Amino acid sequence: MALILNKTGLDRLIHFLGNDGYNFAAPVMDGGKVRYKHVELVEEVETDYVIPANSAKEFFFPQTETIAEIEIGKTNVELTPVEPNAPRTVIFGVRPCDAVSFASLRAVFTWDFIDESYTKRADNGVIISIACTQGDDSCFCTSVGLTPDATEGSDILLRETDKDDYIIEAVTERGKELVDTYKELFIEADHKAKPIFSPAIPGEIDLEKVAAKLATTDHYGDPIWPELTRKCVGCGACTFSCPTCHCFDITDEGTAFHSERKKNWDACQIDNFTLHASGHNPRDTQAKRWRNRFMCKFHIYQTKWDQKGCVGCGRCIRVCPVRLDITEVMEEFSK
Amino acid sequence: MSDIYLPKLVTIEDVVEEAPFVRSYRLVFQDEELRENFSFETGQFGLYSAFGYGESTFCIASSPTQTGSIQCTFRASGRVTNALAELSIGDTMGFRGPYGNSFPVDEWKGKNMLYIAGGIGLPPVRSVINYSLDRREDFGDITVVYGSKCVDDLVYKSELAHWDERADIRCIQTVDPGGETDDWTGEVGFVPTVLEEAAPDPENTIAVICGPPIMIKFCLAALEKLGFSSDQVYTTLENKMKCGVGKCGRCNVGDIYVCKEGPVYTASHIKKMYSDF
Repeated sequence: MALILNKTGLDRLIHFLGNDGYNFAAPVMDGGKVRYKHVELVEEVETDYVIPANSAKEFFFPQTETIAEIEIGKTNVELTPVEPNAPRTVIFGVRPCDAVSFASLRAVFTWDFIDESYTKRADNGVIISIACTQGDDSCFCTSVGLTPDATEGSDILLRETDKDDYIIEAVTERGKELVDTYKELFIEADHKAKPIFSPAIPGEIDLEKVAAKLATTDHYGDPIWPELTRKCVGCGACTFSCPTCHCFDITDEGTAFHSERKKNWDACQIDNFTLHASGHNPRDTQAKRWRNRFMCKFHIYQTKWDQKGCVGCGRCIRVCPVRLDITEVMEEFSK
Repeated sequence: MSDIYLPKLVTIEDVVEEAPFVRSYRLVFQDEELRENFSFETGQFGLYSAFGYGESTFCIASSPTQTGSIQCTFRASGRVTNALAELSIGDTMGFRGPYGNSFPVDEWKGKNMLYIAGGIGLPPVRSVINYSLDRREDFGDITVVYGSKCVDDLVYKSELAHWDERADIRCIQTVDPGGETDDWTGEVGFVPTVLEEAAPDPENTIAVICGPPIMIKFCLAALEKLGFSSDQVYTTLENKMKCGVGKCGRCNVGDIYVCKEGPVYTASHIKKMYSDF
């Protein structure tokens, strides 16, 4: 017998969580695409999807947030910090790859200096993942050492059954608490989990070999970089859709009298990202910018924070306007 | 304050027009406790706010031996620095820091110091120059080699004149060929060339360099020729930064985060990152 969450249970769960002051987010159909969004009705929750178009990072690391309000007088300035809006949030229907990415983001945002905008939100989050029973040809979690039913980063992992409901597995204490609190919503039944979808491993990818090559600077001048990345247009779509990309800008938006200090997503693929005021730019070519992103994913995240820099969600491949496939670069560096 | 990205308010107490588009500000914290307790080490940097515009990163150009205020020197060249340049004495701006590592001045006790800077690269070096001048007895010979494109562009002109007068420093100033004026008494030539001609003795000497990347590159070569080992040579890098605390993803050179592991590096470290800074 397994603990089961069915459609009625989910409907009531959304209702109960709402009453208990939780926000509820889940994959919903939005403008022709499935996206993680805030949800109030069970009817909105999408169940038939490979992976939402956006990553779930925006619930803890929003695209834009105000960190201070600034009143600018003639000589004096009043600066009022803005506390991060950090509601208790349940994110439902998270793909296991996205769940894994939260540990990566946390590692960056707590590296010696604690970014409370991130931690306060993430600490108030409950991640309910659903193991993948479908995938597409951009999925590659198995190539980065994950599985479509990985539990890392999830508080609760659900498995779809042949009866269109979910088997519940509470992974963390927080997950167990949630299951306990709302146990009347779940039923015991003998339903069978559907088989999971496992992406085919494209070509030969050896992550250790990739990491070893990236650990020295010998590859910096390798013509492989301009060759592989020549078609990149530098739009940054890969970074914005990536669950582990954490780059941001801090800037003021407003008038000469009232302004808001903002923390906004930014992208290492954009040409002026590292441009100095002098005109000097350490990453002055798209090849160098791409190399930086690839090193961040497969070397920096590992050596600096002992975390996965890439979870194989495949969004960067799906959204790329020129179909620059990161797995091809991984293959090249596995040789 | 819990938010690591929020600046402290500072008042501009003094303004010096150093060179065309280059200004120095002396800054005092508005918060009394901070004014008394703020401390930093030579080589560290901060993020400076022009409210309504944003933040820019520069070093703290004063020496920690001078307490009560800090100084910054910047060239008006972008949105934030142009807005900062519009401010005057009594105005409020923002500062957060100090960030990064610092020059290991304690290890340098008893050493001869060779300071090499180009253009707007003098401010971080000036912090440690003034440190060694304020603790003069802790150091051996002190040599400064400083150059800029033209005479007008030299920063800290009055301080340079003061160093020139002092008998206990050798101060060599140079301008790039074509940048000299009729009454220029200094050298004419690029910093690496002038450095090589000055031929400082590498024995028991520490060299500190800051300037444009191309100047650093050729000075490292010149120092090697003069017999300096990579461990005797330090530089300070200042890449573009938005957070200063290892998160925004701009300053890293490969896996080296300039904001946290730098900005001060030895030449042996720099050589590993060469192609990318």
